[in-house]
Amino acid sequence: MKAIFTLLSGFATPVFAAAIMCSLPLAADGAQVKQTALPANSVYQLPVSFTDQDGRASTLADWRGKPVLVTMFYSSCQFVCPRIVEALKKTEASLSPQQAKLPILMVSFDPVRDDSATLKAMAVERHIDFGNWTLARTDARSVRKLAAMLGIQYRELSSGEFNHSSVILLLDAEGRIAGKTSTLGEADPAFVKLVRKLKP
Amino acid sequence: MLVVLASMQVLPTHATTTVEYRAIPPGSFASVLANDADIAPAAIPAFAMRTTPVSQGEYLAFVKSHREWQRGKAPSTFADGTYLHTWRGPLALGAGMSVDQPVTNVSWFAAQAFCEAEGGRLPTWLEWEYVAAADEQVFDARSNPAWRARILSWYSQNSSVPLAAVGGEGGGNANAYGVSNVHGLVWEWVDDFNALLVSADSRNQGDPDKLQFCGAGAISLKDRDNYAVLMRIALLSSLSATSTTNNLGFRCVRPLSVEKK
Amino acid sequence: MKKTIKAIVTASMAVLIVLSGSLVAVAAAHAAPTKVPGDFGPPRGKPIQAILTSPPNVPPPINRNYPARVIVELEVIEKEMPISEGVSYMFWTFGGTVPGSFIRVRQGDTVEFHLKNHPSSKMPHNIDLHGVTGPGGGAASSFTAPGHRSQFTFKAINEGLYVYHCATAPVGMHIANGMYGLILVEPPGGMSKVDHEFYVMQGDFYTTGKYRAKGLQPFDMEKAIDERPTYVLFNGAEGSLTGDKALTARTNQNVRMFVGNGGPNLVSSFHVIGEIFDKVRFEGGSNVQRNVQTTLIPAGGAAMVEFHTEVPGSYVLVDHSIFRAFNKGALAILKVDGPENKSIYSGKELDSVYLGDRAERNLDAVTTATKAAASGALTQQEQIDAGKVLFTGTCSVCHQANGEGLPNVFPPLAKSDYIGQDVKRTIGVVLHGLTGKVMVNGKEYNSVMPPMNQLNDDEVANILSYVLNSWGNPGGRIAADEVKKVRAQPVTAQKAEH
Repeated sequence: MKAIFTLLSGFATPVFAAAIMCSLPLAADGAQVKQTALPANSVYQLPVSFTDQDGRASTLADWRGKPVLVTMFYSSCQFVCPRIVEALKKTEASLSPQQAKLPILMVSFDPVRDDSATLKAMAVERHIDFGNWTLARTDARSVRKLAAMLGIQYRELSSGEFNHSSVILLLDAEGRIAGKTSTLGEADPAFVKLVRKLKP
Repeated sequence: MLVVLASMQVLPTHATTTVEYRAIPPGSFASVLANDADIAPAAIPAFAMRTTPVSQGEYLAFVKSHREWQRGKAPSTFADGTYLHTWRGPLALGAGMSVDQPVTNVSWFAAQAFCEAEGGRLPTWLEWEYVAAADEQVFDARSNPAWRARILSWYSQNSSVPLAAVGGEGGGNANAYGVSNVHGLVWEWVDDFNALLVSADSRNQGDPDKLQFCGAGAISLKDRDNYAVLMRIALLSSLSATSTTNNLGFRCVRPLSVEKK
Repeated sequence: MKKTIKAIVTASMAVLIVLSGSLVAVAAAHAAPTKVPGDFGPPRGKPIQAILTSPPNVPPPINRNYPARVIVELEVIEKEMPISEGVSYMFWTFGGTVPGSFIRVRQGDTVEFHLKNHPSSKMPHNIDLHGVTGPGGGAASSFTAPGHRSQFTFKAINEGLYVYHCATAPVGMHIANGMYGLILVEPPGGMSKVDHEFYVMQGDFYTTGKYRAKGLQPFDMEKAIDERPTYVLFNGAEGSLTGDKALTARTNQNVRMFVGNGGPNLVSSFHVIGEIFDKVRFEGGSNVQRNVQTTLIPAGGAAMVEFHTEVPGSYVLVDHSIFRAFNKGALAILKVDGPENKSIYSGKELDSVYLGDRAERNLDAVTTATKAAASGALTQQEQIDAGKVLFTGTCSVCHQANGEGLPNVFPPLAKSDYIGQDVKRTIGVVLHGLTGKVMVNGKEYNSVMPPMNQLNDDEVANILSYVLNSWGNPGGRIAADEVKKVRAQPVTAQKAEH
């Protein structure tokens, strides 16, 4: 039994993902029962389930209702990812007080290493405010799909590092991509302008 | 888990062709893509691959049973405006179109959904390239100039002529793995099309702008003479997951064990 | 440090546009308002749709005194077209032609560039315009999948003539398949008025079949890498600018040619047979070189050449690396019509026999002798004089001008006992040649003298008379009749031993 499972491990994830997806509509329906249908170009059309730094389960569509900043990262990244966090913080700092609590969602490329405890440790290390920030992991198949949806490129290297494009996206309340930036380490003024335009 | 897998053996039925997956033996493979950190040949685990690209007939059967993937129903976040645009209607192939032709104008999301419904997924680039390196006789024919010239000749063919049937004439000869139409019929989606971090300007190889791709820089192309494969990479890197084109189809892979059962 | 980051951001932004597929609002890096030469401020007036032309046509002059927003819509089409008679090739084109559509803007214009990749295309494509200041010349920003379109904007801050080309991997193959063209950035004051402007672009092509092998010819990667072109062409096809399609002008007109070289490999030695370029803006830059015969156009480079037409006729445009012109197709015609101008060029004034290998000698003596022989009054001295001239052209190569020959190789004619023994024998030697061992003045020679029967009877008689009366030989003369008799006899091999 176990041997077969190991043999399948490379392929087990899609099946696993499919299984989760089957259960998804229930949760999503519950949350969105009063809402109208999602726009056709909404990122929230993609069923993805997350586990956050505190082990809480959620889905991508749970972010519907407010503008949100989304990015992808991995916690063992020493070079670029801290600068992504920095850019998010500075973007946040340049917003008005009521906008400053804009939800921020960071999704890991690395479901193998980034479990809830690891994400939590990183968040603490980077002084991340859990009030509006979520560090999340999902399964490998969903990582691929979410990255495809957000136009983020990545590949895993044999070293365990990830080679990826660095993008912060602004989603509007309905999950439509309203802006992107690749500025690292600081706030991109033009991007901040786009965020300000979207009323929370 | 295993219960789920067992149920996957029941495959969708198709109008004309029977779905055949062929076992691909494990091996070690040097990709045309190289990264400073990944110069060693990659180990490829065994898997099973569809012997032919997915046909129009097979895709039609899929959208009949998966209404959410019908043209007009699939949201634009999963497929762009030219999704299945050559069809007459959501459930009708285009005039003069044959069920045996490879399906094209399908997005990455749509192709993934089809493969998942078949209990599989799209092949990774490495899996595709591994199988595509074979000619009729040997598993790795890439150094054979005649093979290179032959697969390159596809690009000289006018793409306004109707596509040949899958498994049929014109590149339909099965290669050493027993897989057909890998070259010479259509482009094919791969699972990690968005892992081909080639700079959009292909001449920037060795660019010190490492921030662009998180420290490692863009992938460089190790075998610059293998034009036919390089063009696959160029095409895939030009696409987003919702893109569809007239010459872009796909095939699926599955775990080997499903075949053995 | 700040500057560095800005540069990186700009590069990544370009990639972003490509990745997003659809054009979502892309945050642009804030540009510092520094004054750039050639930047005449923001675009004014209504946006202008650029007129694009197919080769050999050039869009009309700009005639505008302010910077504008110019919209360029260029479509990439992959199509099969003839490359030579009965030979077709799968070209990849900007605008359906090779070279691609000609683009003309004014320095300081803001160019909004739309690149559309036709749905029937197999390949993704992009464009690198050498007239763009920015990473990749627009390549990354314009990377476009089949059935998609991209947009990017640049300010044309440098005037000049620039090549554009596709830069999608494999770049060489995209260029080899015809993906190049020219963009002219006019100076603010425009260009001098001329009667004709033409668009000509050279390119090298690589097919698996040989030159003019019929049918659809696929691209040959090996030949391209080895830089062994099958075709070298102006405007993408053999015959694209000859016959009915030749460029035309009238006499007394000013002609300007925008000449580009797409490559991918070869550098062009561009020349117009029978014209001298009055002015060349070589390399498409700002310097003007005058009175140029042949101008070098690098692959990925261009030149503006100007000349005035004086004399009617057909002027042949060639790559003066000349086998390319006559064996690979690099040939075009400019047909100039109008009245003759004999003061500039006379046309043919003389048509007479020209004896190539005697070109440098005064043949008066030969002419005199020929006339005298015809009138029957040929003197021995006339024969000797004529023979001397002829000897210099034909015999002196081996026997030397002083008749001494070359030791051990060519026997001497001076004080030759071989001649003295039998003067008449020399006639046969000249007419039939001499092979094998021969003793002359006590030395043995063993070589081959070919038959000299291309010489007529008069010429042989005169040469021998000259020899007999030179360098201590016995004297006397040989008559043309004697030569005629020997020539009429059946040939017996002239063996030295006999």
